[in-house]
Amino acid sequence: MLSEERIILMTRMASYEQGEGRKNVKIGNYFRSDYITVQVLKAVVCAIVAFLIMFGLYVLCNYEELMKKLYNIDELLVLAKDVLTYFCVMVGGYGVLTYIICTWKYVSAKKSLKCYYHNLKKLGSMYNER
Amino acid sequence: MTVLLEMKERLKLIYSKSDVFIVPIAKFLLAFIIFNTLNSRMGYMALLDDMGIVLIAALACSFLPLGAIVLLGAVFSLMHMYALSLEVALVGLCVYLIMYLLFFRFSPKDSLVVAVTPLLCALKIPYVIPIAVGLLCAPSSAVSVGCGVAVYYLLQLVSESAPNIRTMGEEEALAKIRMLVESLLANKAMLVIIAAFAITVLTVYLIRRMSVNYAWTIAMIAGTMVNIVVLLVGDLYYDINLAVGSVLLGSLLAIVVAKVIEFFRFCVDYSRTEKVQFEDDEYYYYVKAVPKMAVPMQTRTVKRINSQRTREAEADTGEGSAYAVGSGRQGSRTVTTERSVSAGNSRQSGRTVITERVASGGNVRQSGGNGSAQRGGQSGNGRQGVRTSASERTAPGRSGVRNTGRTQGRSVTIGRTVDLQEDFDEDEWP
Repeated sequence: MLSEERIILMTRMASYEQGEGRKNVKIGNYFRSDYITVQVLKAVVCAIVAFLIMFGLYVLCNYEELMKKLYNIDELLVLAKDVLTYFCVMVGGYGVLTYIICTWKYVSAKKSLKCYYHNLKKLGSMYNER
Repeated sequence: MTVLLEMKERLKLIYSKSDVFIVPIAKFLLAFIIFNTLNSRMGYMALLDDMGIVLIAALACSFLPLGAIVLLGAVFSLMHMYALSLEVALVGLCVYLIMYLLFFRFSPKDSLVVAVTPLLCALKIPYVIPIAVGLLCAPSSAVSVGCGVAVYYLLQLVSESAPNIRTMGEEEALAKIRMLVESLLANKAMLVIIAAFAITVLTVYLIRRMSVNYAWTIAMIAGTMVNIVVLLVGDLYYDINLAVGSVLLGSLLAIVVAKVIEFFRFCVDYSRTEKVQFEDDEYYYYVKAVPKMAVPMQTRTVKRINSQRTREAEADTGEGSAYAVGSGRQGSRTVTTERSVSAGNSRQSGRTVITERVASGGNVRQSGGNGSAQRGGQSGNGRQGVRTSASERTAPGRSGVRNTGRTQGRSVTIGRTVDLQEDFDEDEWP
């Protein structure tokens, strides 16, 4: 006999597995610290590349000025300090932002997976009741 | 309202039946419009400014994921920039890479938003975007909206600077880059619009998630007002020469579009809201349930009366028989139609009725060995009707009411017709 309740549950679960669930299952395979570390590392790499691009554009825009600064050690040191500060702020800030977003993503994925596994258990018990 | 709801159900049905075709066609049209707009606004590379190339690219996008539209759009724009000047293409590439590396990776599924935002900005109706995104997407989509606006202003800047760039020689490569980067960073209008759209998306999202009545309507109106206020304040501070009239008209259009979105996505009946409160071992629950507005679809069953089969049936019953009761296929169809009418509009009630009739049909079949001509001919509904009729068919020389199967009605249980046909196997009958 077909059970309408069971079919609805299975359909919902299948839809979840094919959509949002696939991503959440991937996240759920990691430990919390591992997932966040990997994501923060990726973000740091991206931020470094983005910073280099921005710095490259800055150099191209202010090429003559920078050339002059190269021959003056004091100005060069000031420039290096500024660049380093911007670098740390940007990469650090982006890393912290990624940490916050990934923590939230992990928590919501785990919550969603918990619900999914609960439904899986419920489905199993429905089959056992037959 | 009922007509609109019926239309919505019909559209849903059409979409669910033919989404295999509708989705690629929609993607094709979107890609075609985007590439065509790019070509008409930039069009520096003659090779790309060709309808054949646009059609091929749009066709490729129709069966690729949505991200392909964004990717090909970026490639198109970069090639046009390259045709204008290598330095412009370099700046464009850097901007795209920065966007991808820093922003787009947080909401990679918002390709549609990134693709549509510059298009709507170009069509001078950008105020629809933040309201629609706030209603339909997550708050992180504000980043995608911002990226889309930045792309629009980059392309606009390239178009506006093209005459100047052409006059500059190759030895002024650094000057070209400086001009573009400084113009882009100093574009206050872009910054104000990005800020206004981001704030609007967040406002709409937060309000529409609230459990107040008419949350979506409140969200879209509040979002529109916030958008207008932020834009006007930005205009006052930075003097960005905003056309107030177009902002107001665009905002009105945004509300209209948002109402349409609400109708399709969140059509609920607040007058039938139920509030319940209960508890279990761990929690107290305060539940507010708002029913959705829905009208069941009415489908028409087309009956085909096979006159040849009817004549055969007549021949079977013998000379004295007045019974040409719908036999076989025809009979079962007639029966189903009539039953559906009596079952009412609701699909659920239709099913229930069928179940009952099936149960009673068996009895009739057993008891109807002799065949009650009058009953079978007149009732002609449900399984009972079919079997009674069939048993009567085998009883020669009986007279009764002729059932030609002309009854018309609306059926909601087409699937059941098949069951009846399967059950109605002529071999079963004596």
